[in-house]
Amino acid sequence: MVELFVVGLSHQTAPLEVRERLSIGADRLSWELERVRKVTAVREAMLISTCNRVELYATAENLYSAAEHARSYLAERAQGLFTEEMLYLKRGKEAIRHAFRVAASLDSMVVGEPQILGQFKEAFDAAEATGSIGVLLDRCITRAFSVAKKIRTETSIAAGSVNVSSIACDLARKIFGDLRGRRALLLGAGDMGEAAAKSLASTGAHLTIINRSSEKARSLAVSCGGEPKGYEQLASELVNADVVITSTSSSQHVITADLMNDVSRARRHRRLFLIDIAVPRDIDPKVSEMESVFLYDVDDLQQLAAENLAARKQAAEKAEAMVLSEVDLFEEWRQSLALTPTIVALRNQFQYVVQAELERTLPKLPELSHKQRNALHKMCEAMVNKLLHSPLTRLKDSGAHRDGARLVHATQELFELRGETGLTSSPETEVTSEESPALTTAKSGESS
Amino acid sequence: MLVSNLFLITAALYATSCSLFLVHLARGTARLARWAVRLLCAATAAHLGFASLELYVSGLNPVADIHSSLALLSLLIVCAFLLALLRYRITVLGAFLTPLTLLFFLGAGLDRSVTEVPANVRSALLPVHIGVNILGVVAFALAAASATAYVLQERMLRQKRLGGLFERLPSLDVLDSLGFRLVLTGFPLLTVGLITGTIWVVQSESINLNATQGFAVMAWLMFAAVLLLRIAVGWRGRRAAIGTILGFLCAMLVLAGYLLRSGGL
Repeated sequence: MVELFVVGLSHQTAPLEVRERLSIGADRLSWELERVRKVTAVREAMLISTCNRVELYATAENLYSAAEHARSYLAERAQGLFTEEMLYLKRGKEAIRHAFRVAASLDSMVVGEPQILGQFKEAFDAAEATGSIGVLLDRCITRAFSVAKKIRTETSIAAGSVNVSSIACDLARKIFGDLRGRRALLLGAGDMGEAAAKSLASTGAHLTIINRSSEKARSLAVSCGGEPKGYEQLASELVNADVVITSTSSSQHVITADLMNDVSRARRHRRLFLIDIAVPRDIDPKVSEMESVFLYDVDDLQQLAAENLAARKQAAEKAEAMVLSEVDLFEEWRQSLALTPTIVALRNQFQYVVQAELERTLPKLPELSHKQRNALHKMCEAMVNKLLHSPLTRLKDSGAHRDGARLVHATQELFELRGETGLTSSPETEVTSEESPALTTAKSGESS
Repeated sequence: MLVSNLFLITAALYATSCSLFLVHLARGTARLARWAVRLLCAATAAHLGFASLELYVSGLNPVADIHSSLALLSLLIVCAFLLALLRYRITVLGAFLTPLTLLFFLGAGLDRSVTEVPANVRSALLPVHIGVNILGVVAFALAAASATAYVLQERMLRQKRLGGLFERLPSLDVLDSLGFRLVLTGFPLLTVGLITGTIWVVQSESINLNATQGFAVMAWLMFAAVLLLRIAVGWRGRRAAIGTILGFLCAMLVLAGYLLRSGGL
């Protein structure tokens, strides 16, 4: 029976130096995929390469020989750095669960990061372009997309930022909305302040830099894309600014309550967001009591980062449960496609009809001898076999193709075999309205 | 029969949409918000059907008495909110507005006895007076919703407790400028409403000044202060938001005053 498996390594099993050797650029993905298919003799294949992982998702008749080939392909690319423990092989349900977890960013280094879904999509497109996606992988990966989307919308896995710079940006956005054209002021030249200023500048805010040493201010201005100003312009810049980041090494408050009182009057109550990343602090904490001023210090920001991580961990637990139930649904669908039960059920049905008819007719013909009865039995059996010959051959041959599943379905539908194959739900019942168009197409394809 | 069924359907749709908005506010499920908006659209359509049917069957003038005015008011608030949704991402404000709408709609429907406006009160000014006031209150209702969201969000930012609700509220800037624009729109309407009301009171000498008119003047003063202080001194944010909420409460007291008075006017 054809089985789905995944072979690969990730940040959890292999160090960066191995992963970077194995990583495949987007432009070479299709080429490598062709090569993998040649050496591994898999039916379907998809290669994914991100900074966190390199994995091959594939289906094969002979799982172990295919996996062995895939393993030696990866080992060859890693050029000696590779050890056995780095590699994992997951098959069947475990492989499906793995695909769903990876797409939903549950297996990422930063849980909930949004890039993985795009990378997954690129890998899928590349595989589709080389024609190496068949019915199983198609369903598995498109299902992984919708599971990931569902998890993103229904849990808070992606909520909140986890580093201080992006938290500062998020807060600024919560106050001012769009940051394009807003004025940000960086006071001092600490590393964390610089990072926060850079991320603010990257949102389109206009950045001004003030430092005691104007030399340093100028060099920072070049690296962050800001405008250097002299220290004497601090008060006037404070009047104009929307966001202020301070990270000086001063041992006293640089922005005192008195200074802010003057500034506030000139600002006419415009909102001001102050971020004090310096230790010891640069801004008098009393300032936070002022109307229209929001003051966050380094502890506040780190506290928020910790809370966000905790919230994501909680969401991840819920997401894992969602993945498990989706894996079960997928498994149910996959089993419904199994060729053998369908063939057996079809044969049984025909034989049952013949048997029933014989049992009804024979008592009406008491004159028949035992030999004649046997001949009648054999004739009926031969008829069943002949009638079933071409549909069964066609079904067996189609197993390898993408439309094989459609044929199995059609057979099940035409002969009402669902109950007899031991399946209670049809795959259509899994398809909900929120799913991606790709999946809806797949669905209509199956039922047509 | 059809009219009362349609009334019940509309009320049920409003109530369901309202509860979905509230759950969305508390728990933040995006899908719930989409359904809440869809249901609100359905409720609006049902309400429109109900209103036109009522107009056709009983010939009720929507600005003739306080009950039909309330129904019209709830319809207009929802329409204005749905229109604002096209421009601003303020879905979460539905949680503040839909309870109000539901209240108005039920308030309008619970007493459906049409009361004849006393002859000495009837005047050509009356429809104008009610019309501009309704439009004014629509603007103030939206302004108050956005001011409430502002006050909540500002408090969370100050206390540095940025829970789930925080994620869903629009930025302070959007809430503040939306509130300001809405008060700016509602204020002239309220002014015209107050003037026509005064003329009308003077015309029909039998009506004495009472608390209701007092609240109307208070609402007007409150909104005037919000606008004046903002333009002249730059007062904005929390103080302006609280002023807006107080002004809206005064306007609500005026409505309550009318409702409680016997005769419906």
